[in-house]
Amino acid sequence: MHINDTVQASYKAVTAHRMRSVLTMLGIIIGVGSVVLLVSVGRSFERYVLDQVESFSSHLIEIYPTGFEKFGRSLDSLSFSDYEAVTQLSTVESVAPVIFVTEKVVYGTEEISPMVFGTTNKFFANYSLNLEQGRLLNESDIKGARSVAVLGYQAAIDLFGDRDPLGERIRVGKRFYTVVGTMETIGSALLQDLDTPVYVPFTTAKAQTGQKYLSYMTMKASIDDDNLVVADITSLLRQRHGIENIDNDYDKDDFRARSASQATEIVGSVGLGLTIFIGLIGGISLIVGGIGIMNIMLVSVTERTREIGLRKALGATRQDILRQFLIEAVALTMIGGVIGIVGGASLGALIAAVASKFVGTVPFVLSIPALLAAALMALATGLIFGIFPARKAASLSPMEAIRWEG
Amino acid sequence: MPKKKTSPTVPLIETQSLTKSYFSEELETPVLHGIDLTISEEEFVSIMGPSGSGKSTLMHILGFLDQPTTGKYLFRGEPTRTMTDDELAAIRATRVSFVFQAFNLLPRTTVLDNVMLPLLYHPTIPASERVERSMNAIKSVDLEDRALYYTNQLSGGQQQRVAIARALVTSPDVIFADEPTGNLDSKSGNQVMEVLQDLHDEGGRTIILVTHEQSTAAHAKRIIHLLDGNVSSDTKQFTQINAKKNNNLKK
Repeated sequence: MHINDTVQASYKAVTAHRMRSVLTMLGIIIGVGSVVLLVSVGRSFERYVLDQVESFSSHLIEIYPTGFEKFGRSLDSLSFSDYEAVTQLSTVESVAPVIFVTEKVVYGTEEISPMVFGTTNKFFANYSLNLEQGRLLNESDIKGARSVAVLGYQAAIDLFGDRDPLGERIRVGKRFYTVVGTMETIGSALLQDLDTPVYVPFTTAKAQTGQKYLSYMTMKASIDDDNLVVADITSLLRQRHGIENIDNDYDKDDFRARSASQATEIVGSVGLGLTIFIGLIGGISLIVGGIGIMNIMLVSVTERTREIGLRKALGATRQDILRQFLIEAVALTMIGGVIGIVGGASLGALIAAVASKFVGTVPFVLSIPALLAAALMALATGLIFGIFPARKAASLSPMEAIRWEG
Repeated sequence: MPKKKTSPTVPLIETQSLTKSYFSEELETPVLHGIDLTISEEEFVSIMGPSGSGKSTLMHILGFLDQPTTGKYLFRGEPTRTMTDDELAAIRATRVSFVFQAFNLLPRTTVLDNVMLPLLYHPTIPASERVERSMNAIKSVDLEDRALYYTNQLSGGQQQRVAIARALVTSPDVIFADEPTGNLDSKSGNQVMEVLQDLHDEGGRTIILVTHEQSTAAHAKRIIHLLDGNVSSDTKQFTQINAKKNNNLKK
């Protein structure tokens, strides 16, 4: 029998029993659909997180102290001279020191407890923060340790509501600051914490708190390879702190230098783990779907015993029958696979579109490898679970099959 | 009655001491005990016997649906015992065809597609001739106006005529008809028998009819009686029933 005829015979069998065919395919549709859906949604949100992080933190590097806090005192391993030394490195630029002022911020009757960053104007550039009105902190604010403050977008709203904050005086702890600028919103649900801080000059914060060490430092790598810069900083600070650490055990250090790209790698690796996990669940549902196919195909073989007997009586060979039933099983799984792929991808795109309305642009990522894997799995399911019923059909004796009363 | 044409030197079908037994768990159930038969081309033969006589088993062996246990079956002088499954399938595709008691048509499939079905398995008839051949076969059973109907929309008699068309379409050497009127009322049965007689008388087809009814068997020109797995008689001495006359009488 020619392969075209076999395909046509299978096609007729599939379309002649539409309801049964659809029910048979359902397992595959759900299996493939859920794999495609979950992987695309996972990938889309991973992409979303990475985009968000990368948008404000390209080549961003942070150094912060580590270790145990001693009796209520903050970690004090990062000194001002460490800051001076890091500034001298040729691989970094735009180094901004930070001292946190842990005080409440008050204006009139409004009182908030934001992060108060004592820093320099380089800080804003490092995090891609943009001014909305007024001005940023400048050199003379730092040199003169002036009592001026820049408000994050949310901090300005919380303290002033609709009023214009510029020129107003706010109180941080016991000290009064004049508001000289407000920041634009980051515009991201994921990173909305970046809208809440209050920024004051580094020198003023140092004077107010009396702190002799840095809360942390932030900077940009001036070369492409962030990891190289992190290694550079780490070896400089180990040397300065007298730490011998050839096995690179971060627990032995009293500080940690980390690039934002390392953070995104962590997001990526979590995403990959999740994708594999989702793929496994999808694989299991495909096996379940495949057993469903086998089940229905076996029923179909029994139900069509007379037809098989007839075809054999008319001259069909074992091969012909085997191929017909195998193609039928594969056709069912492939049609189911295509419906599942289209359905899963559409639903994924819909979810990304809906999410975009709430949390900022969520790009829809269609994972091509996941699609191919799903299609291949559907094909393999058809072949593996179709072969047994097909062999059963092919081995029927024509004489017994034709007399079969079922 | 048309005169029998020249008998070929090699008979179409020849069996020598053909036996068939079924085995279930060591238990041997013999069904045929040494059948010796010769059937020539263009014969119209009835194989007759009560149920259990082995007539269906014999037809299955002669139609290559089953293999004998011992003995010889020569088809056009060729021994068939050593044939593989695929060779048997090829013979079924080209040399023989069947009309079954239960019609065995594909449901939800048109008359044309049903009749075309054997051509899908035919090794030499090209695909381009399928429709024409099938339509010719459908015409010969007077169903051309039903060609695109689904078979389940037809009456029993019409369905059996579709089955006959399907048996004709490959121009086989021999047509086996297994109780072809068994599921039909007498009128439709008579019409089916008329078609078979026409195929033989006018078309020169070789037909082997298997039945348990004397009245059906008598439509053929020769009756082979089977009893308990043996040929009990083989005769041409009887009054042949003419289906066309009967039909005309009933009208």
